[in-house]
Amino acid sequence: MSSFSRTLANNAAWEVVRLRRSRRSWLLAIPVVAGPIGSALADLYLKVASVATAEILGLLITGGLSALVVLDLSALAVGEDLTLRTHLLTFTLPQGRGVALAARLLVVTGGALASYAAGAGAAWWLAGRLVSDQVGAAHPILVPLHLFLGLFGFLSFLGGVVAAAAVVTRSSAQALVAGVLAGVVGAGLASSLLLQHQLNATFPLALLGVALGGWGWATAGYGRIES
Amino acid sequence: MPSEVLVVDHLSKRYGKQAALREVSFRVHRGESVGYLGPNGAGKTTTLKLLSGLCQPTSGSVRVADHDPSTDRDRALGHLGAMVETPGIVPYLTGGDLLSYIARVKGIPSRDRPGAVDRAARPLVTGDVLRRPFGTLSTGLARRVLLAATLVGDPEVLLLDEPTLGLDPAARHDLRGLLRGLARAGKTILLSTHLLEDVQEVCDRVLFLREGALVGDEAVNPGGTPFPGGGEGAVRLRFAADVPPELTRGMGPPSTRVVVEGPRQLLVFFTGGESAQAEIVARAIRSGAPLTTAAPPEPDLARRYLEKVGRQEAT
Repeated sequence: MSSFSRTLANNAAWEVVRLRRSRRSWLLAIPVVAGPIGSALADLYLKVASVATAEILGLLITGGLSALVVLDLSALAVGEDLTLRTHLLTFTLPQGRGVALAARLLVVTGGALASYAAGAGAAWWLAGRLVSDQVGAAHPILVPLHLFLGLFGFLSFLGGVVAAAAVVTRSSAQALVAGVLAGVVGAGLASSLLLQHQLNATFPLALLGVALGGWGWATAGYGRIES
Repeated sequence: MPSEVLVVDHLSKRYGKQAALREVSFRVHRGESVGYLGPNGAGKTTTLKLLSGLCQPTSGSVRVADHDPSTDRDRALGHLGAMVETPGIVPYLTGGDLLSYIARVKGIPSRDRPGAVDRAARPLVTGDVLRRPFGTLSTGLARRVLLAATLVGDPEVLLLDEPTLGLDPAARHDLRGLLRGLARAGKTILLSTHLLEDVQEVCDRVLFLREGALVGDEAVNPGGTPFPGGGEGAVRLRFAADVPPELTRGMGPPSTRVVVEGPRQLLVFFTGGESAQAEIVARAIRSGAPLTTAAPPEPDLARRYLEKVGRQEAT
């Protein structure tokens, strides 16, 4: 095993230990459990008139919950050690700091996205069981599959922004605030583009690009921290 | 393998316009235990940070076991156990979690990890301490676990920054004993501290740092090492009355230098062994002055600290 892959494996395992010990691992269950339940309640309470609209509703509810999870886990994965100054110990270990952080981000972002996928899949499935298309129902505002895929870009965007913010601020709390603000801006932009009928695949891809930039910047910056 | 495991060569570090270190050079040989003394802001922690790869030098270089921590991080830091400043602790993690992670990063195979963790922790903590979250441990216990973390993988070199800070007197005593044991076992130790007692009890050499510059590099205990004037030993003479003037002017061979430490006290450096010391004591008695005690001087690190570094913060 190369030094790179060994560092990835060691730190991925370390993040799993941290998630388990802090009980933050339970957060990953929220989109899977609360997403479908919330979606089902909304479908029934609002008497949604079409399956596609119910699917969109379910995706938005599950995506919103997943956004909170990815924000929290990413902020803590990067910022917790810097806030507590635990990095003074871990940075003296014989491993690349950036690779170590990348492994930890991979676990939390991957976990949150997998949780979203599972919750969204369940919400989608329930929508088809609980709702039937009614005559005269309005057209859905989005193609559900597009929204399902686009939300991966949005969640990644939040993870990337929070990771970069945590390196800059060296505080998980401040990074979380930055992530929430970024989420509001992202959602606002998406709504605006939707109203102008200009929301297409470019937007989530651009969000994914920002996410990659954020992660890259965070891992590079993490390796340069000196105090 | 080179005998110099830590090489600091014309090392400078600036933080913006502030010079933290200025052209510092020293070498630490395998098996040496070296104290690193200086007031706050002298650059002690910065030096340790540079040696442990936490930051990069502005100019000059550091090498750990012939590897540069900046460019050959894995090899250089693989030789180190470092505790720089006071690392924070994640309250929900246990000591066992932390030590196992470090063992893993240091490449210890999974079957050997429990043994490596146990060997590192045994001298410092007992019972179920490693199974308890850091948040439930006292400051002293948590510090012991952090010290144990530096010992995981049996590193050749230990860089310790104020390791006894926050420990009660008994724990501090125990820790000094542990460090002495590690030094005797051949570990190379660079110990940065404000506590002169730590250096006195653990180290055999001391470096003095002042305002980012090295201002002294000498033995901690001058006994058996060159004395001022080329002597080999020293004896402190105390009298019940004022010292006769003829003694203060010099005592002739085998003495090499006489230091008047007060109206009733002399410190006499000499060449030769116990017979030379006996000769000096006999001369003092023959002078007719009422000699009360004659004993080797205790290593006067505090005095030397004040001479080298100044009056700030000697403890």
